[in-house]
Amino acid sequence: MSIVLVGVNHKTAPVEVRELLAFSEEACAEGLRALVDGEVVSEGLIVSTCNRVEVLTATTSEQIKQSRERITKFLSQSRSLPHDLFRDHSYSHIDDQAVRHIFRVASSLDSMVVGEPQVLGQVRQAYSIALEAGTAGRVLNRLIHQAFRVAKRVRTETGIAANAVSISYMAVELGKKIFGSLKGQSVLLVGAGEMAELSARHLINAGVARVLIANRTEESSARLAKEFGGETVSFERLADYLPDADIVVCSTGAGEYVVTADMARKALNRRRNRPAFFIDISVPRNLDPAIGELPNAFVFDIDDLESVISSNIKEREREAERAELIVDSEVMQFQQSLRVMEIGPSIGALRLKLQDIARSEMIRQRNRLGHLTPEQESAVEALLLSTVNKISHPLIDRMRRSFDGGDNESIQAWRDVFDLED
Amino acid sequence: MIRSLLLAVLASYVVSAIHSVLAFVNKRRALQGVSDWAMATGFVLHTVVLVADWFVDGHYPLFYLRETLSFLAWTMVGSYALVRYRYGAHALGSLTLPAVSLLVFLALLIGSPRGTQEPGFSGTWLFPVHTTLLLFSYAAFFVVFVASVMYLLQERELKLKTFSAIFHRLPSLTTLNEIATSAAAIGLALLTIGIATGMLWSSSRYGVLWHNDPKEIFALLTWLLYLLLIVYRSTAHWRGRSAAWLGVAGFVLVLFTFFGARWMGGYHVFG
Repeated sequence: MSIVLVGVNHKTAPVEVRELLAFSEEACAEGLRALVDGEVVSEGLIVSTCNRVEVLTATTSEQIKQSRERITKFLSQSRSLPHDLFRDHSYSHIDDQAVRHIFRVASSLDSMVVGEPQVLGQVRQAYSIALEAGTAGRVLNRLIHQAFRVAKRVRTETGIAANAVSISYMAVELGKKIFGSLKGQSVLLVGAGEMAELSARHLINAGVARVLIANRTEESSARLAKEFGGETVSFERLADYLPDADIVVCSTGAGEYVVTADMARKALNRRRNRPAFFIDISVPRNLDPAIGELPNAFVFDIDDLESVISSNIKEREREAERAELIVDSEVMQFQQSLRVMEIGPSIGALRLKLQDIARSEMIRQRNRLGHLTPEQESAVEALLLSTVNKISHPLIDRMRRSFDGGDNESIQAWRDVFDLED
Repeated sequence: MIRSLLLAVLASYVVSAIHSVLAFVNKRRALQGVSDWAMATGFVLHTVVLVADWFVDGHYPLFYLRETLSFLAWTMVGSYALVRYRYGAHALGSLTLPAVSLLVFLALLIGSPRGTQEPGFSGTWLFPVHTTLLLFSYAAFFVVFVASVMYLLQERELKLKTFSAIFHRLPSLTTLNEIATSAAAIGLALLTIGIATGMLWSSSRYGVLWHNDPKEIFALLTWLLYLLLIVYRSTAHWRGRSAAWLGVAGFVLVLFTFFGARWMGGYHVFG
């Protein structure tokens, strides 16, 4: 058995090419049925997202080249796209390279933002389409299940998805570093920009209990208040509400400081030294940077957030190196189980082998039986063969089951007992 | 026998310390699990050692320096386990467990001197209560110290907005603050009763409450400092950097009370 993968991704192909190759869900199922012919390509699966199109197939070891050609031909025909257009942008991987690639894709090591969680769901989706289309068989079932396992291991054993890499999520992460849990905290949105909205959404998901919204135009603050179940407060009386806010997210178009150091100092005094977290995502800045020098106040402006994000991305890349080691060992494991799968055919041969033994024993002992009528002779043979079959049937049945279920230990045991070749 | 058991205790603590530090640096849950189990094993063995010591030597195992160090290590593991259970703050282990290992190592190195002063002189049950309470208060103050150091490190990084590798491993500021506050309160209560029982013992034996020796003076200073910390924290809602610095300063005083006073002589020096 061999695995062949042909694909394009965000690194190799510009979006103009990727969008031409992309498959909708229906096109995916239809395409799979056209691609898998049971001869050259025995199993198939298509992962199509905005960042990649990957065609993953199983074939026999002798037909690697043909199946690769079949896939490219399939892509160009089904997308009605000349091959020349995407040849230079596509890659193809075979066997352990293909296995490694699909493991890396599922564990988000191949993503634009390493560690992003969506891609695993997309692979899951692709797999269920292939299952429904009936094009995922023994080999791909096993490959994809292992890919899910690899993704889970990478997620739990490395810090690849640990630190925030978006500004809106950064507010949650830093908030947790200061307050521990965000449950029951209150947030004050100053200005109702898109960024503030996104941050607020993340903060609410993390458990923030109270949302105050102050905006120059009451309409947009009323809209946000309705959406988040928050309260609108008067922009002019901002200073009165400042002490109530554990987290202040500021994003107005104002050209001057909306919260001055003096306002913040008074608020902090009223807060009796409880810490306060100020996020300023506006340019020009709306929070006086001098607030950061006050005790128990933590101020992050857009540049601070960006620089933390870039260091988090570096941290993720460091963790990705550890993830690659996990992928390596899993690829090796998969190759082993693939080899075990290949004894499948020899299980079928086992029955014939046992019958041969019965026949040759019959020939050896034939003389001692003396004269037999043809009916008697065939009855003896039938007796022998049916005995052998009756005894071997449950055995072979069990062997097939342990081999289909990928129970490596029992397979090895069967192999030892019956002297099956790999 | 007891010595080799104590060696096993040391081994468990070292394994636990190494895994805890690795987990701190690497953030791997499996390592943390090893650390927890090794610590639990070490703690159980350590308890056995202390009890066995008591029966073999026939006196409460808290008199000679060796015994004191070993006992202190035991109380520190106990209080860390409590913090770990209550707040899930395993980051504290990466400082506590190496310190504990060091104490047990020193205890093994020192061994007990024989002769000079017989521990039997302590007489009443008040004496062991006095020493035990004080050691538990020291352990509590150590927790305050570790939490304060971590608070200061993290607060500094948040203010400077440059995050080192350990930043993501530290508990939140609020959690550290809570740990330090409650540990300081518990420590102060233990210290108060500890000093009081010492005075009672002294008055029943010598008829004097106070000997004015260095250890007593430092203990009093320590007591005042933590009292100040608690009072400020509860009345003026003092928290954050200043409170954390006080937690560090308090521990320096504790160290002085514990070790420094030995070299300045006085009545509190035994064994």
